[in-house]
Amino acid sequence: MTDLFVALTPMNLLACFAGVVLGTIVGVLPGLGPAGAMALVLPLTIKLGPTAGLIMLAGIYYGSMYGGSTTSILVNVPGEAASVVTTIDGYRLARKGRAGAALAIAAIASFVAGTFSVVALQLAAPFVARLALAFGPSEFFAFALLGVILLANLTGGSRVKSLAMVVTGVMLSTVGMDPLGGTVRFTFDVAGAQAGLSFIAVTAGLFGVAEVLATMAQPAATAPVARVRFRALYPSREELRRSVPPMLRGTVLGFLVGLIPGPAATIASFVSYGVEKRVSRYRHEIGTGAIEGVAGPEAANNAAAGGGMIPLLSLGLPFTPSTAVLLSGMLLMSVTPGPFLLRDHPQVFWGVIGSFYVGNVMLLLLNLPLVGIFARVATIPQRYLMPGVLVLCAVAAYSDNNNAFDVWVMVGAGVLGYAIRGLGYDPAPLVLGLVLGPVLERSLLQALTIGRGELRELWSSAPAAIMLATAAVVLLAPAARACLRLWTRGRASGGDHYS
Amino acid sequence: MSPRSAARREQWSALGLAVLALGYLLAGRAYPLDTLATPGPGIVPLAAGVALLALAIWQLLAVPRSAPDPGHRGAVPRAPLIMSAVLALYAATLPVLGFMLTSFALVFVAARLMGLDGWWRPAALALGVTVASRLLFGAWLGVPLP
Repeated sequence: MTDLFVALTPMNLLACFAGVVLGTIVGVLPGLGPAGAMALVLPLTIKLGPTAGLIMLAGIYYGSMYGGSTTSILVNVPGEAASVVTTIDGYRLARKGRAGAALAIAAIASFVAGTFSVVALQLAAPFVARLALAFGPSEFFAFALLGVILLANLTGGSRVKSLAMVVTGVMLSTVGMDPLGGTVRFTFDVAGAQAGLSFIAVTAGLFGVAEVLATMAQPAATAPVARVRFRALYPSREELRRSVPPMLRGTVLGFLVGLIPGPAATIASFVSYGVEKRVSRYRHEIGTGAIEGVAGPEAANNAAAGGGMIPLLSLGLPFTPSTAVLLSGMLLMSVTPGPFLLRDHPQVFWGVIGSFYVGNVMLLLLNLPLVGIFARVATIPQRYLMPGVLVLCAVAAYSDNNNAFDVWVMVGAGVLGYAIRGLGYDPAPLVLGLVLGPVLERSLLQALTIGRGELRELWSSAPAAIMLATAAVVLLAPAARACLRLWTRGRASGGDHYS
Repeated sequence: MSPRSAARREQWSALGLAVLALGYLLAGRAYPLDTLATPGPGIVPLAAGVALLALAIWQLLAVPRSAPDPGHRGAVPRAPLIMSAVLALYAATLPVLGFMLTSFALVFVAARLMGLDGWWRPAALALGVTVASRLLFGAWLGVPLP
């Protein structure tokens, strides 16, 4: 526990500061997103060493949650998906001349929720890690499978398309050496592919290069930004009083949603908004510029970001693209997240958690007085920013293995990412399939070997059986519902025919 | 885009997935399945290929005659196409010409394609980005760049 104070060393404080500033800027700028930005700075963080490097990456992750609200309120342009819902009431508040108060409430809500989720993370992660020590291959297989199936159901849009992306990611993960026997697969004699497709190159391509191509296809106009004076940042006593209940509800709700695989921060903000519209005393005002519509969702998306760290730190399983990049960073720094992280690398574990506290304070102090500056970042024309993103993508991809093949992978992933987005496919499930593919494969093959070929081994323990049953229900329920609908429609038309 | 052409696009994307799955399954035949007790390296590729094929067929059958527009414009814009070709050229020439020259050209072309007019401003941006990246990653952080 004393390792928490590792976060207070000058180097780690600097890494945390750089991370949260970068994260806030990424949150402010529409497009790139935290996962892409984290992938781009990986070469830099590796040089900082495991603790400082991971503190910086984590800072980008939760800093982006803060930054996203700024442009939602001031410009009506959400910096990232988790802040979309904040535009509804936040921008209307700005038009009423209460932009400063909305920004302050958003920052306070983010701070409260971020701090709560860190406390909960600090208490829950070691407990879950101890629990996970009893997990064998069948439990890990069931958990990872449940994770990807839930994810495909929660990403929005077509479930079939999301599942197809997850499976494509798993297929891409089979390129290179197989995790148990060492057989080289699907490399087609390309030497650079023997170590597998670089996760960083794929992420940089799917999120970075694809974003540049999409911006070229449809350049976004820069919006004018409302000026906010420091004095205007003080919310009124009434606004503060009204913000407390939605902030608390959003915090608890967001943390719980964060534990579920999928785009938790985005879902949490929408769920919180929906809850406020139902239970708030001022629900009739929500949608017209009510402070509850800012406090609840902003608390929820920050709490969800903390909740999402629990499966990563205690089980080694990431369920969002950002935590997947964090996992990749950890592996590159020879730190294996999971049940043994606390035992093998206590400084890294507690250092990262400690940095969350420090980062939350930094973000609160940064976001209130510097909000005008951050909002102005959103007005920089993309034609100046995006060409530089391409070079950062190339550096990130190349430096992963010092291999030109990875630059090809980045270019391929970028073109693929641009094409699939145009066809209505979400690249996030593909990234998670790529990360979780080896976990699924290794645990499946180990479970089969332990069970001497008996498939029953996969559901031999109660946790594995419950998780597999849940996965089956989630997977098959929509198909069963569709069949039932067809059957009832058939019966109805048959009945009409005979009547 | 009309609902009919959106539906056609959905069908083509499902067919593309099916072709990918079939190609992957064909290539995966090279790896042994062995037995369930001693599973070989071909088991997961087989399962993944079959799953993708099934999903592609499911999607193909589920496409209504007029699918909702996924948000893509009718004609493919020229700039992303040109940029994709330039990126491929960048990947091919990076090990030969080195980081500075290729990255300068990449940023210059990207800036021009994004609407940065004239020659001086794209050139200044390209020089700034390339030199800053070289200094930050190459000189300061010691990241080996080609």
